[in-house]
Amino acid sequence: MPLQELSRGFKDISLSFKRHPVTNDLLPLKNADAIKRAVQNLVRINIGEVFFNDLIGTNITGSLFELATDDLILPIQTEIETTITNFEPRVRLTDVDVTPRQEENALEVEIRYDIVGLSTPTQTVTFILEPTRL
Amino acid sequence: MALTQFTNLNFEDIKSSIKDYLRENTNFSDFDFEGSNLTVIINLLAYNSYITAYNTNMVVNESFIDSATLRENIVSLARNIGYVPRSKRAAVAQIDYQVSGIATSNATVTFEPGLIANSLVSDKNFLFSIPEKFVSATSEGVTEGTLTIFQGQYLEKSWTVDNNQPNARYILPNSDIDTSTLRVKVKEDSSSTTVTEYKLVDNIIGVTSTSNIYLIQETTDEKYEILFGDGIFGRKLQSGNIIEASYIKTDGKDANGANFFNFVGTISDENGANITSFQPIISSRVPAENGDDIETVQSIRNYAPRRYAAQNRAVTASDYEAILPSIYPNIESVSAYGGEDLNPPQFGRVFIAAKPRNGAFLAESTKKQLLQSLKNYSVAGIVPSFINLKYLYVEVDSYVYYNPNFVGDPNNLKANVVSSITQYAQSEELNKFGGRFKYSNFTSLIDEVDTSITSNITTVRIRRNLSALINQFANYELCFDNEFFRGNDEYNIKSTGFNVSGIDDVVYVADRVVAGSTIGNLFLFTLNNNSEPVIVSTKFGTVNYETGELLIDTVNITSTVLPDNIIEIQAIPMSNDVLARKELYLQLDVSKSNFFMRLDSISSGANTSGTRYQPQSSYQNGKKTR
Repeated sequence: MPLQELSRGFKDISLSFKRHPVTNDLLPLKNADAIKRAVQNLVRINIGEVFFNDLIGTNITGSLFELATDDLILPIQTEIETTITNFEPRVRLTDVDVTPRQEENALEVEIRYDIVGLSTPTQTVTFILEPTRL
Repeated sequence: MALTQFTNLNFEDIKSSIKDYLRENTNFSDFDFEGSNLTVIINLLAYNSYITAYNTNMVVNESFIDSATLRENIVSLARNIGYVPRSKRAAVAQIDYQVSGIATSNATVTFEPGLIANSLVSDKNFLFSIPEKFVSATSEGVTEGTLTIFQGQYLEKSWTVDNNQPNARYILPNSDIDTSTLRVKVKEDSSSTTVTEYKLVDNIIGVTSTSNIYLIQETTDEKYEILFGDGIFGRKLQSGNIIEASYIKTDGKDANGANFFNFVGTISDENGANITSFQPIISSRVPAENGDDIETVQSIRNYAPRRYAAQNRAVTASDYEAILPSIYPNIESVSAYGGEDLNPPQFGRVFIAAKPRNGAFLAESTKKQLLQSLKNYSVAGIVPSFINLKYLYVEVDSYVYYNPNFVGDPNNLKANVVSSITQYAQSEELNKFGGRFKYSNFTSLIDEVDTSITSNITTVRIRRNLSALINQFANYELCFDNEFFRGNDEYNIKSTGFNVSGIDDVVYVADRVVAGSTIGNLFLFTLNNNSEPVIVSTKFGTVNYETGELLIDTVNITSTVLPDNIIEIQAIPMSNDVLARKELYLQLDVSKSNFFMRLDSISSGANTSGTRYQPQSSYQNGKKTR
């Protein structure tokens, strides 16, 4: 008898607040897309940004102004792993890869994970972190 | 539907309320995950609700005099019920002056308002001023007399009235003003040479449309605003009028005790010209006293509603308690009760006991002045009278255990303990009629002085000072109004030494319990060379342990060991919480309390098993005298 997988659905609101062309409702983010957005959010939240909870988020934004050496990359990887493991129970992290892009003064972050309880292939989230000078 | 808890002030509670709501009312499901977009919105909503709830809570708190914390709000609420908080009070001194070397053609000289003298108190220089000019007669080039001087800097401020300007306010630009030194004068216009003095009133009774009056009220930052009449109650000022206000900005109680003064004032002759050459000699008649800080918010909370309840009439005993501090601000605490409460009753009388801020007793002249002032308020036929304060002293012996690993010098720790207790002894909670020494608060206070203090064992005794009438036969009655502990058959009561006629040696009082009763007999004893008691008189009076009252039979006391004819008599209270009833005024006597520092060898790790640890007894020592 094949292993029966638990059917789960995730539905999140989209912060683009765009209108669905047919239903005129807000565009939802579903399942893998919703989780992908949550993983990205967790990485991009600065520690202290969530009210009354100093544990959620990473210090990556502050680290972007440091020299891109191995001493910088490793802590960023660890922070991402810790925050996703602690606050995103829907995923099982397989790999976090942080690559400095020296010529663009940016960091490329690639996060691979499996979704717990969904028979989807390993998901990959890739985004580029750039320092913003105002 | 989960949004039923509207009074949440906790961010997490608000957040979980919103989540509970979404759980039942939306197609979205990701509100439980911290990284989701929905959580960002929930956090925002919860934070907004939290801030709103917090602000609402603060606004409501600040709307009531009991819960408001900002002084300007408390003052504003008190203003609604006609209460003007007491301003800072300048220390006032009286000096005798003799100024010579004045031209003999002058029949009078004038001390100009402003700086008059300076004085050092604790190495700090204080200025003393007079709020208005003082004219003194001269004789053969010499003038002398007595002058009342106020500590502080004399300042002036003037405004030109412009009735076209709406919401014009006359606010004195300084804080720390003694409003009793405020003088307000009004000139018709800038060229006018005549000035009209306006008088301060605190209510509008008897005020007509032409009364030259003003009122004051405290505004923000402890500054004062002058309010004039509106043409119905009090004369209305006209455009072009010049208001001239003068006042003294004071350092309050810091200058109390100033006793040596240097003259630095200005004297003018009959023509108003300054006299530049003269020889002043001044000496202190009454040292500076009665300087005080601005009324505290606790005091405003206490007195404003009571003053309002009294409605400027002294009818009930508590009315007297409310009115007296307003007509004589130097009162720290006051207690009043009707004569019908006494045994035997004295109908038609109200007895008042008051404790001044700087000192133990009210002067006789002050009592007379207060009785005169009270006539404006009291009901005809009721005779108020002042009775002398009776102090009930609380003394403690405290053994303070500390962990030596956390403290460098135990003497410093002891100094901190004594400092904290001294502060507590001066607190308003204790220093009032009806005050209560709360044992558990006291022991907690010691424990909280420093983290190195592990515990304390504190014993309490109460004391009253018997003021002996020397070389006179007299009976004495000493009320403690607290039940006495009588754990021993005798020597529960102890005293300092004194001499009585007919006995050569110094004698002491002690008690012996009458078996099966609440009464004991007092006896006199002396101490022999081995400090053992030798009873010399078995009949000296009685003690009622239940009411805490000593009755001493007729005796002729010829001298006392302590100065000022004082015999200290102590007892152990039945309860560690000591109450001051009726005219008794509680004082925690830190100077006669003892604090012993004890090393806590168990906490320090030196003797974790406690085998060598000897805890201090929780009972009093076995001495037979004080």
